[in-house]
Amino acid sequence: MEKFKKYIKELFESGEIEGFLGIRKNGLHPVPHLFTPEHPEELETLTIPDVRYPMTEILLTIVRKYPDKKLGIMVRGCDERALNELVKNQKILPELIKHIGIACSADLAASCRCAQPYPEEIHYGEKVAPVEDRSDIEAIDTMPQEERFDYWMSEFSKCIKCYGCRNICSMCFCDQCTLEDNDLIATGQAPPAIPIFHLIRAFHMAGRCIDCGLCEEACPAHIPLRTLYRKVRESMSGFLGYVSGTEGGEKDPLEFLGSEGYMVPSKIDEK
Amino acid sequence: MEYRTVLTTCTYCGTGCGLLLEVMDGEVVGVLPAKTHPINEGKLCIKGWNAHEFIYADGRLTKPLVRKGDTLEEASWDEALETIANKFAEIKKTNGPDSLGCFSSAKCTNEENYLLQKIFRAAIGTNNVDHCARL
Amino acid sequence: MTQKEESFEPKIIAFCCNWCSYAGADLAGSMRLKYPPNVLPIRVMCSGRISPHFVMKAFQKGADGVLVTGCHYGDCHYMKGNYITMRRVTILKDLLKFVGVEPKRLRAEWIAGSEGDKFARVAHEFTDEIRNLGPSPLRG
Repeated sequence: MEKFKKYIKELFESGEIEGFLGIRKNGLHPVPHLFTPEHPEELETLTIPDVRYPMTEILLTIVRKYPDKKLGIMVRGCDERALNELVKNQKILPELIKHIGIACSADLAASCRCAQPYPEEIHYGEKVAPVEDRSDIEAIDTMPQEERFDYWMSEFSKCIKCYGCRNICSMCFCDQCTLEDNDLIATGQAPPAIPIFHLIRAFHMAGRCIDCGLCEEACPAHIPLRTLYRKVRESMSGFLGYVSGTEGGEKDPLEFLGSEGYMVPSKIDEK
Repeated sequence: MEYRTVLTTCTYCGTGCGLLLEVMDGEVVGVLPAKTHPINEGKLCIKGWNAHEFIYADGRLTKPLVRKGDTLEEASWDEALETIANKFAEIKKTNGPDSLGCFSSAKCTNEENYLLQKIFRAAIGTNNVDHCARL
Repeated sequence: MTQKEESFEPKIIAFCCNWCSYAGADLAGSMRLKYPPNVLPIRVMCSGRISPHFVMKAFQKGADGVLVTGCHYGDCHYMKGNYITMRRVTILKDLLKFVGVEPKRLRAEWIAGSEGDKFARVAHEFTDEIRNLGPSPLRG
């Protein structure tokens, strides 16, 4: 940890970064914080807990106000996937953002069921094995159709329409949200129109979701949102060959019509 | 360039969820749920997620207003409290203490809520006491 | 067939693009071709304009089936609109299936301005298919 703090201090002194977005200890609670060269003493409170905050979401808040600053950000595997998508969507400039990599602990990787619990370059922690687990999707795929419908409807009916899943999502960076369109989503109604409220959000996660699971962690109704989004993520890679969160290369085929604009889905299975 | 978070308690209801106010250059710009808070464990309802919005709202009351004729006019706290005390005394005298009642607020602390019911029961003499978190 | 199934008449919303499919539907009319009155066309400028939200809203408002129609590949007035439509429909069908709604309730077809007969045929086929599936679980 001391070595890590020293590394950040060196980055400040060399002028490579003008701020470091990390986690600070506030009494018993680890909270996000922007460390700056003006207050190097704050680095004493720097901590790396097994708690995840939407770091890239916070980064966007800062970048919107300070688009020219060189910033360091503490990234886990999920944060790095989010940053890759943000670059593709032209929300951040990669040359201004320095990734300071954290490998997640085995405990955290297990509780997140994370398929990639480490970033490309690691500055703190040891790489642990990825967790490959799609039992949640399989459990639903094996249900008979009617049971599946009833299952999701009972889950969705718990929704209190807090918009927490959207608010905490690193990939929800649109200026306007279709879930706030009064013509499409009635106001003053909870649960919102089910299942369409959740399916629309799920659809928008296709090609975007980086499978960090913060949505499910933030859901006060314990709706298995992540399962839904993992499913659309799988559909995207199955039909359109796109996996969100990968570095560089191709962009989300649902949003970008570049040179691959004439590609059609590989197969449509209706069984 | 400054970004920090302030750990505080949601002011909307009696549950007491922990939230982080996101402060950028001295201005509150957003809310994050406190992940390690024992009450809400990183979850918030829609009111909590928007708990920062009233801070800079145009309609926010920052000074007491006293009705003079048909209009509400800004007044000092002394003037406002004096008006309230005089009216309460007058109403109690003409219509009895049960013609008065109070609603307290989840935005207050326990102690403030205690004091409000105390002043109504002991000083005014009514049991007409209620609270918005008693849903 | 039970009494209930016999009396079921599906409600079908057809989103038609302005340049090809709506003209195709128009032509079906001009040719005096009969197609089921269950199909209610809504004109949009391009099939790429059809947000998945519109499709879901149609289901929520009581549609038993949704037909999305556009120009054939290569014919899109806006070059690539129909490609994105096909991608969206594919993902949306898979999602519907995952939550227990028959994916057949959503169908995409390419209908050119000269294909009035195809519009009528698709309308017949789709109405029969939805009639067999019964009322949508998303109704209400």
